[in-house]
Amino acid sequence: MSQTEIETAVVLDARGLLCPMPIVKTAKAMKELEPGQVLKVTATDRGSLADIPAWAKSTGNELLEQHEEGDTFVFFLRKGEEVQ
Amino acid sequence: MADHEKLVVMVTHGPEDPELATIPFAMAGAAVASDVDVVMGFQGEGCELVKKGVAETIHADEFAPLGELLETIKEMGGQLLVCSPCIKKRHLTEDDLVDGAEIVAAGRFVAEVTDATNSLVY
Repeated sequence: MSQTEIETAVVLDARGLLCPMPIVKTAKAMKELEPGQVLKVTATDRGSLADIPAWAKSTGNELLEQHEEGDTFVFFLRKGEEVQ
Repeated sequence: MADHEKLVVMVTHGPEDPELATIPFAMAGAAVASDVDVVMGFQGEGCELVKKGVAETIHADEFAPLGELLETIKEMGGQLLVCSPCIKKRHLTEDDLVDGAEIVAAGRFVAEVTDATNSLVY
């Protein structure tokens, strides 16, 4: 699935944040979404590459896509149906 | 979902080692973000980190500032338990500690650890 096909409800700019704040901000942003809605996260902390997928798995959210744009890591996360 | 899981994070390093003081807060922050219940336990020099005004002064390279992590953990429901004899030894009282910090003794730490999914000691 390409980026342009993903309808995004909210964009979180986590660039410049250091470990573990990208997933903290991601968790907070996701709480505001309804199940099925998509959050786009941009981050520059290299730890995010491993952290965001692990966070999604452990919290029941779905990582739809991830890619790099220059120095920025981009993630698309769909809120799980049973996530509060 | 992981909302029934609980992590205990014991902190024994203080301002003398900013990196080892910060790592337990980073782990606890990641845990609260992952819907894991968090109990942080402060013993020895770790107690210095929950004295009012200290956390804000610590920022280890490549980690989020300790003060920001502490606020995040409190805001997201993490508990802060502080070793009673360690506090007495340092001539501190509850009034000297950050809001929300609770002074406890060994029995409570044991109860928290045995009740937890896992524990980390730094």
